[in-house]
Amino acid sequence: MDYDALVVGSGIGGMESALKLGDMGYKVLVVEKEASVGGRMILLSKVFPTLDCASCISTPKMAQTIHHPNLTVLTYSEVEGIARNGDGHFKAKVKRKARYVDEVACTGCQKCETACTVAVPDQFNADLVARRAAYIAFPQAVPKKAVIERQGSSPCTFACPAGIEAHGYVSLIRSGEYEKAHRLVLDATPLVGTLGRACYAPCESECTRGSLEGTLPIRRLKRFISDRHVESGEDLGIEVAPPNGHRIAVVGSGPAGLTAAWQLARMGYGVKIFEAASEAGGFLRLAIPSYRLPVEVVERDIDNVRALGVEIATNSPVRDVEALKADGYEAVLLATGTPRSTGLGVPGEDRLGVMGGPEFLRKVKLGQPVDMAGRQVVVVGGGNVAMDAARVARRLSATSVNVVYRRGRAEMPAHHVEADDAEKEGVQFTFQVAPVEVVGDASGAVSGLRCVRMALGEPDGSGRRRPEPIKGSEFVIPCQVVIGAIGMTADTAAFASLIGLGRNGALQADPKTLQTNVPWVFAAGDVVNGATDITRAVGEGRRAAHMIDRWLTGGMLDGFDRRLPVVDKAEVLARQKTYTIRPTAPDGVTLETAPHDFREVEGGLTEAQAHEAAGRCMDCAVCSGCHECVAACPVDGCIDLQARDQELEVEVGAVVVSTGYRLFAADLKPQYGFGKYRNVITGMQMDRLLAPTRPFNTILRPSDGKVPERIAYVMCTGSRDETVGNPLCSKFCCMYSVKQNQLIMGALPLAEVTVHYIDIRAAGKRYDEFYEQSKAMGATYVKGRVAKITEKENGDLILRYEDIENGGKLVDAEYDLVVLAVGVQPNRDAAALFPEERLAEDEYFYVAEPDEDLNPGVTSIPGVFVAGAASGAKDIVDSILHAGAAAAQVAAHLERTQAKAKVPA
Amino acid sequence: MSTTRIREIREIIREEPVMQPRILAALADGPLTIPAIAQAIGHPTDEVLFWVMGMRRYGKIQEVPGADDEGYFRYATAGWAVKA
Repeated sequence: MDYDALVVGSGIGGMESALKLGDMGYKVLVVEKEASVGGRMILLSKVFPTLDCASCISTPKMAQTIHHPNLTVLTYSEVEGIARNGDGHFKAKVKRKARYVDEVACTGCQKCETACTVAVPDQFNADLVARRAAYIAFPQAVPKKAVIERQGSSPCTFACPAGIEAHGYVSLIRSGEYEKAHRLVLDATPLVGTLGRACYAPCESECTRGSLEGTLPIRRLKRFISDRHVESGEDLGIEVAPPNGHRIAVVGSGPAGLTAAWQLARMGYGVKIFEAASEAGGFLRLAIPSYRLPVEVVERDIDNVRALGVEIATNSPVRDVEALKADGYEAVLLATGTPRSTGLGVPGEDRLGVMGGPEFLRKVKLGQPVDMAGRQVVVVGGGNVAMDAARVARRLSATSVNVVYRRGRAEMPAHHVEADDAEKEGVQFTFQVAPVEVVGDASGAVSGLRCVRMALGEPDGSGRRRPEPIKGSEFVIPCQVVIGAIGMTADTAAFASLIGLGRNGALQADPKTLQTNVPWVFAAGDVVNGATDITRAVGEGRRAAHMIDRWLTGGMLDGFDRRLPVVDKAEVLARQKTYTIRPTAPDGVTLETAPHDFREVEGGLTEAQAHEAAGRCMDCAVCSGCHECVAACPVDGCIDLQARDQELEVEVGAVVVSTGYRLFAADLKPQYGFGKYRNVITGMQMDRLLAPTRPFNTILRPSDGKVPERIAYVMCTGSRDETVGNPLCSKFCCMYSVKQNQLIMGALPLAEVTVHYIDIRAAGKRYDEFYEQSKAMGATYVKGRVAKITEKENGDLILRYEDIENGGKLVDAEYDLVVLAVGVQPNRDAAALFPEERLAEDEYFYVAEPDEDLNPGVTSIPGVFVAGAASGAKDIVDSILHAGAAAAQVAAHLERTQAKAKVPA
Repeated sequence: MSTTRIREIREIIREEPVMQPRILAALADGPLTIPAIAQAIGHPTDEVLFWVMGMRRYGKIQEVPGADDEGYFRYATAGWAVKA
């Protein structure tokens, strides 16, 4: 057996039971779901009737609990289930939720909290003020260790094949930290400006805000930080390890090669890129048209790589990989992409005027002469290269540009925006036709494209409907230029003798390690996968760098993808009942029906637009992954944003359920206006306003920050109230209200306090005297239940009540602030702890004590005991007494059953 | 009776980082009350209170001792008194 007893919950009842058992020599495990022990008591201002400071008397008990030699305390942990064994012991499953902070190493300095860029309501301040996603529960927290609220991966971040922390840089932009945002993207790839323009933004497709007014412009936000960085003239600000003496060759300078080189250089490797073309950048530099991706943007991004000392040799095709090894390169990455066009495969494709899409785009990007003026152009294909080729042809003054595609528009693989924009620029589309022959004139030049019409049959392996030719439907589209853009393939002939080839000549590499059949040769990006997109290539480049480093340092080839599971968007949306629909930024795209130049068609966001757009982020995972906490933490390695929950199973001899109570949800009394009128608050909120660690500088009304002068209390809110299903008295609301009255009159001597009550229950030692003292200090007590509360334009509140002691007349009274003395409700989490055996509840759903008169603390399950308010409303004094009784019951049970764990001497 | 719907607290608080520079700009010339800040940045007073108190908690803003005759405290940028 691991422990004599398990105590679930560490409020005042749980701490008391655990400490008493520990003092008796029993070994106790305490499991607390929050990041600190102490429960609600530590959050109170003072306690009644002594007016002792709650913090002053709680913290010693909290410290004792943590430091007691016989107690083991797991905070930020949850008991997921308890089952009784045949021998009467219990097996408990405990989840230790990831704190993302090393509990031992954390010094409690709060630098992570101050640096954090995500603001959320502070549950420890009853939602009156913000805390941060990285936080220490409250100033007196025990243990005083930080926690990061991180519910997984945000959908945008999770969706990025490049592994860019999209939520993180959005959050930094929202905070005005543009350089930091830029550096966060640089942490993944040097291609910030490129991706800010030419990425197809899978992050945006997954943005939860898309369910409201529209997705955030995440890609353009990236462009914004890139442009700002260029304007600022700042250094990259990226950490680079000192040279490690190892040399690596990267073949190909597209997005995969550049990213791999960038990452390897940052690790201290000496990297040289070999590029076959005359310019570095691969598809980015030699294919994507400048109206989408200006050359200078790509060159700036490539300069980022050069800035780390990476040498880029252009006009340097590699034809002998082994020669690189002989030259001293310890590993080689092949990332040569898919530079070749797939042929049309029809008669006449060698005619003058037929060209491949990538070759056409390359010529234009290199400024080589391509004569389109006055010509009719047909582009064959439905992908993005086809769209680029068509739009470039328009810019080169082609008379007409007609895209022919064998399927329908819905089946086009091109990004829909590209197709839409092409159409707006005057490109025509002819769907469900396929070329059968390039027709020529007497000189051998193209004069037309013979096509056949297609019908769409059943879906094929890709899920798209299979096109089938319609007999007798052939026709000729007159044209002088045919651009084939039906696919691209790798050019791997030079590697074939060494590296295994797959379909279409693609290199074969392990999909996880990217290692080829030659251990020191890795392959990544389109040369392995076929033509994909920039972000996937970037992601492959990052992976390749990671694996090459692992291989060269003798590590396991794993550990690259440490993403947390993606959060459920439905759960994110359910955090709020209502949302404000916010204006979206204009798309910034200016299109002409007959474009004549290669100026960028999309403008950037202004700073105001970027700030507003980032401000719409919903913080899906709560923690954004901006890494500001990591940077601020003075202890290296203390924060690990990829930490995982841990499960453990323990065997115990007895269980103490001390799960406490829930406060009544005041909005279930809509006539009182809680949640609708800001100046209607709960008793717990007032206790926070009165506490030394209060959320405001003093007692202020939440509507406008005014010091209230007229404060009313509405007693029995949600208790003794059949209309909300709770006929029970909550026992301590009267006394905490009396306590608060006195504290308010002490803090605000000019304030008038009026209590609207049914009757005052002051049954306890010195309780009635305490009540009388409140009246003597000036509090007014008015008998009669409040019927409703309404709000004036200035935030003042009108209470309508029946004045029972003055003839029962209806009275409207005006106040600055109204406090609802909310009652308590059972916490039904207690019963859920025992999935295999029913823990009996009483008729009000508190944990039942079948023999509560003579055996308090004993539940329906032998060996399971209840302490404190889990079995019914109790004030602090009664909770401690009850918890002590429960401890005695546990001790008796353990002695009776001889089920003792060994206690260290 | 006020007919303005108050927004959800989580939504308001989430916007604090966006509002910080605006509030700090409003306080550039000296301390202001919550209603005055609200007027300066064009947002409701209850929302401004959340943002100001969040900024106060993390040391960006401080209160000037003593409420005015209307019962409002004034808030200044951190270190304002030193500068004054």
